[in-house]
Amino acid sequence: MNADVIIIGGGIIGCAAAYNLAKENVSVIVIEASNNIGNGGSTRNGGGVRQSGRDPRELPLVMYAIKNIWPNLSDMLDTDVEYHQQGNLRLGRTEKHKQILTELTNRGVANGLDVRMIDGDEARQINPYLSDAVTCASWCETDGHANPLTATMGYYKMARRLGAHFISGEKVVEIKKVKGKARKVVTEAGNVYEGDKIIVAAGYESRFIASTAGVDIPMTPVLLETLVTEAVKPMFWQMLGTADADFYGHQTNHGSFVFGLNSGLEPFAKPGKPLSSSIAASAACRGIMQYFPTLETIKVVRTWAGWMDSCADHVPVISTVDECPGLILACGFTGHGFGISPSVGLLLSEMAMEKKTTLDISAFRYNRFTK
Amino acid sequence: MKHYDLVIAGSGPAGLSAAIEAAKRGLSVAVYDENARPGGQLFKQIHKFFGSKEHKAKVRGFRIGEELLEEATKLGVEVHLNSIVVGIFPEKEVTISMNDHIEHIKADSIVIATGASENMVTFPGWTLPGVIGAGAAQTMMNLHGILPGKKVLMLGSGNVGLVVSFQLMQAGCEVVALCDAAPRVGGYGVHASKVSRCGVPFYLSHTIILADGDDHVTGVTIGEVDSKWQIIKGTEKHFDVDTICLAVGLSPMSKLCDMAGCEMEDNPAKAGFVPVIGRYGDTSVPGIYAAGDVSGIEEASSAMIEGRIAGIAASAYLGYISQEECDKEVEIQEKALDGLRQGMFAPGMRGKKITETEEGIEISENLLSHGFVADDEIERYPGVTHSVGIHPVIECTQNIPCNPCQDACPKHCIKIGDNITSLPVVDSNVSCIGCGMCVASCSGQAIFLVNEDNGNGFAEITLPYEFLPLPKKGDKGSALNRAGKAICDAEVVDVKSLKAFDKTNLLTIKVEKKYAMQARFFKEEA
Amino acid sequence: MILDRNKDIGEFIPAPDDDMIVCRCEEITKGEIRKAVHDGMFTLTEIRRYLRTGMGLCQGQTCTKLVKSIVARELGCRPNELGGATGRAPMRPIEMKVMAKDKEE
Repeated sequence: MNADVIIIGGGIIGCAAAYNLAKENVSVIVIEASNNIGNGGSTRNGGGVRQSGRDPRELPLVMYAIKNIWPNLSDMLDTDVEYHQQGNLRLGRTEKHKQILTELTNRGVANGLDVRMIDGDEARQINPYLSDAVTCASWCETDGHANPLTATMGYYKMARRLGAHFISGEKVVEIKKVKGKARKVVTEAGNVYEGDKIIVAAGYESRFIASTAGVDIPMTPVLLETLVTEAVKPMFWQMLGTADADFYGHQTNHGSFVFGLNSGLEPFAKPGKPLSSSIAASAACRGIMQYFPTLETIKVVRTWAGWMDSCADHVPVISTVDECPGLILACGFTGHGFGISPSVGLLLSEMAMEKKTTLDISAFRYNRFTK
Repeated sequence: MKHYDLVIAGSGPAGLSAAIEAAKRGLSVAVYDENARPGGQLFKQIHKFFGSKEHKAKVRGFRIGEELLEEATKLGVEVHLNSIVVGIFPEKEVTISMNDHIEHIKADSIVIATGASENMVTFPGWTLPGVIGAGAAQTMMNLHGILPGKKVLMLGSGNVGLVVSFQLMQAGCEVVALCDAAPRVGGYGVHASKVSRCGVPFYLSHTIILADGDDHVTGVTIGEVDSKWQIIKGTEKHFDVDTICLAVGLSPMSKLCDMAGCEMEDNPAKAGFVPVIGRYGDTSVPGIYAAGDVSGIEEASSAMIEGRIAGIAASAYLGYISQEECDKEVEIQEKALDGLRQGMFAPGMRGKKITETEEGIEISENLLSHGFVADDEIERYPGVTHSVGIHPVIECTQNIPCNPCQDACPKHCIKIGDNITSLPVVDSNVSCIGCGMCVASCSGQAIFLVNEDNGNGFAEITLPYEFLPLPKKGDKGSALNRAGKAICDAEVVDVKSLKAFDKTNLLTIKVEKKYAMQARFFKEEA
Repeated sequence: MILDRNKDIGEFIPAPDDDMIVCRCEEITKGEIRKAVHDGMFTLTEIRRYLRTGMGLCQGQTCTKLVKSIVARELGCRPNELGGATGRAPMRPIEMKVMAKDKEE
C-alpha cells in the first residue's frame, strides 16, 4: 500500500499529524501496532495543557497551541475535547517547596510567561477547597487542561473523516531505504507500506523502529500512573500540580477527578506490560488529601499505568534525519507531549510537506545529544 | 508483610472448596469476600441441589454453604468478610480493602474465585426502578427478607429464571408470566414443571417490548418474536406488574484475573471474558488459579469441584504434596466433574436439538414449549407406572445428573443404575409402603405418590409442598393440573412434615379418580 | 489482529431506540455508541475512550456485553472479536481516605 506519508504510531501525535496532512489533501496511512488507537501515553496522562513548569525549549510549542489551536480544537475535531483554560496552580507547603516554585516561576517569567508566585490565601481565593497547609503556589492563568481521551480519539476521528487511512494491529519491524531514501515500512505480518515520507511517532517503540533506519535516540521507558475518581458536582477547573510532584491533575467536565500519581518508584518499574504498583494510588491519595481534605470521601474507581518515552534531556525529538532523507522522528516526549500535541501535529505535517515550519524546531534535532 | 501460602478471592462454593483442600494438606489459607456473609450464591439457594449423594445432592444450597464454611473454619482457614480484594500486583502481592484501610498481603499462590454477575437486556424502560436481576431478587428475598415486589414478570427460562420464579411465589409474590425469547425452555424440565403447575403461564419465543412507568415499573408489554428475533405485530400482551426480573445469563467477573496478568480470552462457550486455564484451573501466571464461574459459567456443584482441584493443585505447586499425589486426586475430582457434565444439559450439548432421551424415548415437546409435560406425553416415561394401591409416579423426563431418589426408597423400588443421568425406573414388583421419602428427596419435586383408586371413587395424590401457610387436613380447594389449571375439587386428607423431609411437606389430596394422572398441585379455596 | 479502519460499514442509519440508555453509570445511549462506531471507534476500548462507556462506578460490569453486541452488529462481526476491557485496581470503588491508609502487618 502506498501513500504520500506513512505515519508509524496511532497516538495523539500520529493522529494530529495525520489530521493536519489530510486537511492539506496529502495521502496518509497511519499504522498502529496495538489493537486500539491512542494506546500509549496519549490516553494515559493527566491532561495538562500547561506552560508553567515547562522546559523553555518547549514553551513556544505550547504557547502557540494555547493561543491558536486549543481554544478551537473541539470545533475543529467535532469532538468535545473539554478544554478549560482556567489556570494552573502548582502548590507548596514548605520553605523548600517555595524555593522550587520560585525558581520555576522565575524561569517562566524570563521566557515571557505570565506566571507568578502567590501566597496561600490568594491560592485559597482561587480555589477555596485548598487546605490551610498550602502556604504558596505558582499561578499561571493561561494554563489549563483538556481530556486526553477525547482529544486523541477526536484527532483520529477527524483525520479518518478527511481521508487518512488507519490500520491497527499492525506492528512495524523495519524501515527500509530505497535509493538512499527512507521509503518502505515493513510490518511483522510481512506487509509493506511505501511512502515518500515516514513519520515515526511510536512512543518508546520509536527507538527500535528508528534504529532500523540507522538512528538511535537516547530514551528510556518510564512508568506513569494515573487514578480517576467517581463523578461529583463541579468544584473547580484549575489544573493542579505540586512542588513535590506527589500528584497532578484536575476535575473533568464529567465530574470525576483525574490525578497523575507518583510513588517515587516509577523510574524503577519492571519493563513489560504496564502494571500499576500496589502503593502508588495510596501514596497519591495521601498527597491529594493534604491539599484537598474535602476529597477524602470521594471514591477512586480506577487506576492505570502506561509507559512514557523519557528522553535523555527531557524534551522530545522532532526532527528530520540528515543521513536518512524522508524519515521524520517525533518521539521522546517525556510525559509532556499532550499539551503540545496540536502544535507538533502541525509542525510534522509541515515537515512532511517540506514547508517552512511555523515554529523553530532546531532545539529538537535528533543529533543534539552527540554535539 | 502478612503472608499466606494461599490467598483466595471469593468465599463462594469454589473458593471455600479450594480452601478446604489446601488447608487439609497443610497450607496456610486466607479467604477474602466482599460480602457480609460467606458462601457466595450458595446462601441464596434455598432449594435442594441436584447431583449424586457423594456431592451433596438433595441438600439445600445454603446448608451446603454452611457445611463448607464449617469445614474450612475447622481446618484453620481464615475467612475475612466485608473484605474486598482490590488488586493483585506482581510478585503475588494482594491488596485488600477492609473496614477503613487497605491491607497489603503476600501470597505464594492465589485462587481467584470471584464468581459472576448478572447480564442485562435493554428495552425501553429497562433502567426504571423495578427492573432487577433475578439474582438480585433472590438476594433481597433470601438474604435480606425483603420482597422485591408484588407482581412480577420473569424474563428467562434457564434454571435461574425457573428457580427464582418458584422462590418468588414461595415468598408471596405473584409471578404473572415467565417469558423467553428462545423457542424452548432453557432450564431443567422439572424446575419448569413445578413453576407451571403453580399456574404461571410460559411465553416462549416472547420478549419484552417495553416497561411502563414514570419513576418505577407499573407494567410490561411482551410480544412474540420471529426467527430473526423481530417482534411479530399483533402479538403484544400487557401485564400490570411492579417488578420485572431478568434472568438472562451471567458473565464471569474476571477482571481480577486480567489485572493479575493472566492470559484472557473472550469465549462464548464460557459466557464471556475468562482466563485461559489448564487442567488444574491454572492460569498463565504460575501459582495463580481460577475456579468456579469466574472461569466459565456453570453450576455451583461444578464450581465446588473446580475449587477442590485448584486447592489440590496449589498444594502441589507449593510442595505440600507430590505432583503424582496431586494428579491422582485431581483425577478423582475430574471423574466427578465429568459425572456432572453429563446428560441433556451438559456444556457440550449447548445449541444441540435433542429429540429423544438416552433411553430412546421421545422427549416432551410440550415441556419445552409450554413448561409442562402434556397428559398424552407423560405415560412414555419409565417412572410413570400404574398399579393397584399407592405407588410412586416419577415425572422425571430428561437426562440430568441426579440420583438421590434411588437411595430414598427403603424398599429399593426406584432404580437409576450406574449411569447417573438415566431416567428413574419404578420396579412395580416391589410394593410401595407410602413413606414419601422419594417425594421429599426429589430436588426437582417430580415424584408423586398416587393411589389411583381408594375404593370410594376417589384417587389420592401425595405431592411435595413448599409453601406457607401449610394447608391442614380437611382443607378444601382445587386440584391444579400440570399446566396450573384448576380441574376439579380437592380435599387435603393428610399433611406430613417429617424432619427427614427437610422442609418439603407432603400434602395428600383426594380428587375424583379420573383425575389421578392429572391433578398435581393444590390450591386452597380463597 | 490487523484491522483496516477504512472497512466499509455503510452509512449511519438512525433507529427508533437510539435514545435508549445502555451504560447506566455514564448515561450513554445506543445511538451515541452506534455513531461512535461510524466515526471509527471499532473496539470496545476505543468506545470507552471516546464515550466513557463502562468507566463509571460499575466499571462496565453491567454494560460491557450490551455495548459489545451493539458495536458488533454495527461492524458486522462477532462480539467476542472486539476485545475485553482491561481489569484495573481497585476492583470496587474505594474512598480516598481508605485508599490512603494502606498497611502492612
